[in-house]
Amino acid sequence: MNAIGAALALLPALGAGTMMGFATAKAVEATARQPEASGKINSILLLGLALAESTAIYAFVIALILTTKV
Amino acid sequence: MSTASIIKLTVSAVAAVSFFIAKNVLKHKPEDSVNPKKRKKLNRLFFFGLILSVWYFIACVVNEITGGMKGINVEFEMFADRVDIFGLSVSKSTVTTWYIIAVIFILSLIFRLFIFPKFKESPKGIQNVIEILVEAADNFTSTQTHNLSPVLGEYIFSLALLMIGCATVELFSVRPPTSDLVFTFSLGLLTFILINYYGIKKKGFFGRVKALASPNPIIMPMKMLSDIAVPVSLACRLFGNMLGGMIVMDLLKGSLGGYAVGMTSLAGLYFNLFHPLIQTYIFIILTLTFINEATE
Repeated sequence: MNAIGAALALLPALGAGTMMGFATAKAVEATARQPEASGKINSILLLGLALAESTAIYAFVIALILTTKV
Repeated sequence: MSTASIIKLTVSAVAAVSFFIAKNVLKHKPEDSVNPKKRKKLNRLFFFGLILSVWYFIACVVNEITGGMKGINVEFEMFADRVDIFGLSVSKSTVTTWYIIAVIFILSLIFRLFIFPKFKESPKGIQNVIEILVEAADNFTSTQTHNLSPVLGEYIFSLALLMIGCATVELFSVRPPTSDLVFTFSLGLLTFILINYYGIKKKGFFGRVKALASPNPIIMPMKMLSDIAVPVSLACRLFGNMLGGMIVMDLLKGSLGGYAVGMTSLAGLYFNLFHPLIQTYIFIILTLTFINEATE
């Protein structure tokens, strides 16, 4: 039962992965349009990726808590 | 020793030797007999084949000695084990952190006593490196927080040093302290304290409360909640990333068995070196962004 719960808890990784892909695609577009702003775009992209990734990380932590006995 | 392993050993040894010979034959061929492009390609191919066959040979030998794969048995715990020090129950990651702090302290003492007095007006050698690092940390902090405080740069620098030290510990197959929720949560609490300290220092206590209730007093509880969520989210992000990297490395070691020779160091380049550096960068940039948000 715990394993099923952990697997279900990892569903947010789907959304996080898709949206991180979108963000990266937009960043690539922006860099192609304005190569001189690549440094700024890079730092903004990293910040956004970190925030988007955190959803998947929370899901991962919850799955860990469910599967390991604390 | 089974026949299969003997065949594996001989095949890999013969392949390694033949690749080596082929490489040398190619090297001593006259210049104009082979097309230079083709020569480069062949050279690369032989080198790759040599490395691959040598790796396979070593892996087979290791498998023979250790008795091969024994199945995956990866066990991990949310919290590190505890040890007793003078009757106090202390987490192992805390002890590891003490070691890291001691190493950093001794290194900084050595730098202060023996290297800093030799500094000259025109930088040379190691002085260049130190100056570039310190200047980068200072510039980064002051551009992110708009020259808020001169002390913040030092805090960021030492934080980065501590977290990089924590990451390098994993290379010695010690559990990194950053994969302990207690360590990451205390770093998050430090960030929380800094946010509130600078917010209150810049705007005053009532200014900070007013900023929390800025568009409408109704959303004040929401804003307070999101402020309290900052250290939790920072801690969980760092913890999850580091523990994830550690588990992936453990799974790799467990599933490859004797064939993990050299493979773990290749994967470790990403999971033990690049990944912690990125997480350090993200932790620092988030800390500075939140501080900047509170003071604006």
